[in-house]
Amino acid sequence: MEELDVEPALTLVPGVAPGRGRLHFQWGPGEMLVCEAAFPGAGHGEKGPGCPYIHVLRKDQDIHLHTLRKLFNESHGIFVGLQRSDEELSGKSKKAQLVGVSKNYRSVIRACMEDMHQMAISTRDPALHNQYSTQVSILSAMELIWNLCEILFVEVAPAGHLLLHLLDWVRLHVCDVDNMVREVLSSENPSKHELFWNVVDIFVLQGRMEDARHLLSKEATANPTSKGMCKILDDLMKKMPVLGLGNTQTLTEMELKWQHWHEECQRYLQDGTFASNPHMESICKILLGDENAILEKKELMTTWYHFLVTHLLYSHPAVKPVELRFYAQSSLDQFLGGENSPEPLDTILMAAFEFEIHQVIKECSIALSNWWFVAHLTDLLDHCKLLQSHNLYFGSNMREFLLLEYASGLFSHHSLWQLGVDYFDHCSEYGRVYLELHIERIPLTTEQKALKVLRICEQRQMHEQVRSICKIMAMKALRNNRLGSALSWSIRAKDAAFATLISDRFLKDYCERGSFSDLDLIDNLGPSMLLSDRLTFLGKYREFHRLYGEKRFSEAAKLLLMLMTAHIAPCSFWMTLLTDALPLLEQKEVIFSAEQTYELMRCLEDLTAGKLDNQKLQDDDIETTKVEMLRLAFARNLARAIVKEGTLEGS
Amino acid sequence: MVSVINTVDTSHEDMIHDAQMDYYGTRLATCSSDRSVKIFDVRNGGQILIADLRGHEGPVWQVAWAHPMYGNILASCSYDRKVIIWKEENGTWEKTYEYTGHDSSVNSVCWAPHDYGLILACGSSDGAISLLSYTGDGQWEVKKISNAHTIGCNAVSWAPAVVPGSLIEQPSGQKPNYIKRFASGGCDNLVKIWKEEDGQWKEEQKLEAHSDWVRDVAWAPSIGLPTSTMASCSQDGRVFIWTCDDASGNSWSPKLLHKFNDVVWHVSWSITANILAVSGGDNKVTLWKESVDGLWVCISDVNKGQGAVSAITEGQQNEQ
Repeated sequence: MEELDVEPALTLVPGVAPGRGRLHFQWGPGEMLVCEAAFPGAGHGEKGPGCPYIHVLRKDQDIHLHTLRKLFNESHGIFVGLQRSDEELSGKSKKAQLVGVSKNYRSVIRACMEDMHQMAISTRDPALHNQYSTQVSILSAMELIWNLCEILFVEVAPAGHLLLHLLDWVRLHVCDVDNMVREVLSSENPSKHELFWNVVDIFVLQGRMEDARHLLSKEATANPTSKGMCKILDDLMKKMPVLGLGNTQTLTEMELKWQHWHEECQRYLQDGTFASNPHMESICKILLGDENAILEKKELMTTWYHFLVTHLLYSHPAVKPVELRFYAQSSLDQFLGGENSPEPLDTILMAAFEFEIHQVIKECSIALSNWWFVAHLTDLLDHCKLLQSHNLYFGSNMREFLLLEYASGLFSHHSLWQLGVDYFDHCSEYGRVYLELHIERIPLTTEQKALKVLRICEQRQMHEQVRSICKIMAMKALRNNRLGSALSWSIRAKDAAFATLISDRFLKDYCERGSFSDLDLIDNLGPSMLLSDRLTFLGKYREFHRLYGEKRFSEAAKLLLMLMTAHIAPCSFWMTLLTDALPLLEQKEVIFSAEQTYELMRCLEDLTAGKLDNQKLQDDDIETTKVEMLRLAFARNLARAIVKEGTLEGS
Repeated sequence: MVSVINTVDTSHEDMIHDAQMDYYGTRLATCSSDRSVKIFDVRNGGQILIADLRGHEGPVWQVAWAHPMYGNILASCSYDRKVIIWKEENGTWEKTYEYTGHDSSVNSVCWAPHDYGLILACGSSDGAISLLSYTGDGQWEVKKISNAHTIGCNAVSWAPAVVPGSLIEQPSGQKPNYIKRFASGGCDNLVKIWKEEDGQWKEEQKLEAHSDWVRDVAWAPSIGLPTSTMASCSQDGRVFIWTCDDASGNSWSPKLLHKFNDVVWHVSWSITANILAVSGGDNKVTLWKESVDGLWVCISDVNKGQGAVSAITEGQQNEQ
């Protein structure tokens, strides 16, 4: 059973007097709201100014730092690449690939560090400078931890190689030395420089024998009395057995050689060869792995893990991974010397040396302010098959849990949310539903953004979300009187009711203004016309107008009639349609056949019969005139049609 | 890391009772004892007053935003026994409907999942719950559940829409067969679950666990699991998490989240239902998450303090 290891973090919100209010809370889709409130019953009747402030809180503030934008963007690319390429390789090549991925992540962190460092030194605002500098040190710590995890968990360096990797690790991360080195080397008489021996010590502590020997030779030339000692020390350094990465000798062979070399160093020390030169004597002791001698150089090493690696180099170069924990713990204890307690970074590194991966992730989660680091590291370690699956309530394992948290945070950002989509895609258990819940909350500020969101939903067959978004856009367009846009959105949403509503608006506009808007859209409806009856009518009605415009009168006539007889046209529109028939009836040529004319007359009768029942007392003068005009026109046409049809061709 | 990014000065002249972000987090609606409902545009850390809505004759207790597919619609309920529905039309906010069918203060309003249409549930101190459904053309149909809770109803919360059985996309125009449910909490110390059957609302469950007035209920959003989850809080200082394992909704079991030292007023779920926020007495809001073994642990405290903001790194709970 897990207990919370730390007290829940307390966030204080600036308030006015404590008052009699309670703290009210609401979730927003991204941010959270907090305000002083009162409840019905309490506070009612008591007049007085309440606190009119509402505070908006944000949980994943780091997501919104523009300085980290590059980190999020580039790591996203690496993450997606890793998910996709996983299945192909196995064995050694797989490991090489994973190490490559790990190095990529680290180089992204370093690039970000570099950028931030530049910003820190170029800004004149002290607050900003502090902020950037803090960010740089956090990133630096992250890279340090990641690098160690890479060596221990991804590379899984065996004994021998392990120490070499650790040496590299230490050399890379203790960078203060470079300045000192440069200073000494560039001076006229390096061996007379006050920091000369410091630099030699550092080289030795970091196992940089070539560099150490180079400096020793300078001392030898400058100081003839110590030439003899320098020669011997130089010799020892040269002969130190090192397991090179390209070396063919086995570990056992190397260990044997190392033992002999160690004994040789011992002899020289005991003979008092270096007794007259305390610097060189101390170096010899270091070579022998004397803890106290190494510890004396505490200030140069600066960290306990440097001490650990140096000590291992000179006492147990063939250290096995499983042995690391004991040496690490003792190094930490000795270095701190009981005065100070370990910092969070120390705890994390210690957990890594102990190969407690879960502990590493847990400590990092607590110490860091955002999920980026743990989410990506855990994903990588999961690909190395290192995490046993611990079932969690949300997210079936730790990897998914962390990725869900990280990606959820991305969704509160107006553009980074797009990265979040890919992360959710690769969470097999809850990724999809989290995506559904989050993607609905993205403000559809522009048509392009809405289309982008739609495309994402369509690609993933999220039909509910597609429908919902289209309906929202249709409603928005309608409110802004953009009927054409509203119609195309409601067609896309397959929303028949809305399409009917909008078609009615179009028809109403036509009746009022005598023309259609958005002709392009209506002309090209195609099969989507069938979405709603009203829409079908709209499309066909427009087609009628087009046919008329193209002077294809008999087709137009047929269509017009069909609209009524097939009941595609709503009754309310029949009058308009019949009136539309008038110009066709007035043509020189007979367009409506007798049969058709009978139909027309019947329609009119149906229409007026219905009307008579309801509007006996409301006979509009215009309406009656219209009806009379129509009857006359029909009658005339009927006459002409009968005659025409009765006449034989040619006669 | 939790930090304050914006402070909106609502200029309300009396105590604020509720504040709600709209669906996208771009607008903020607030209501107060000064009888007004205000709407602010809060994009990009700003605060622009969009509307100051007057119409209530008493303190306004709650506001609720409808789903954006219905337009910009806000509901408010008040001590004056009225429920008012406001709508933005042509850039201005106006009252679009007013319901006066309750005999006493209306304490809580909650919009149903958008899949059901535009439906508002209202809980009142007269013990009744009314359901207002928009039927088109500015018309609203009212269904009332009288005596839902003796003495009064304090909170209503809808269950998320879940289509029973079929996952096949419905042909356009056809409404899937949803089973509509919502929960209510009342002064009879009970949490009740209501289900619609044949157009009528029936009491489906009566959940007893609290020893004093239930102040708030919140049904958790669905993340695709067959279980349903709900939170309730009460004057007795307790917060319970209710879970129902089977789809038919028959067996609910409560788990005590925590017993606070003071009245707990409000519970709410984050949008992915993984965090529950509890605003209790002693001016604190606590955030809770469920751990692997089913225990609920507190992951964060938000406290009202004086002076400078000091946001401490949030203790991220990392379950193993």
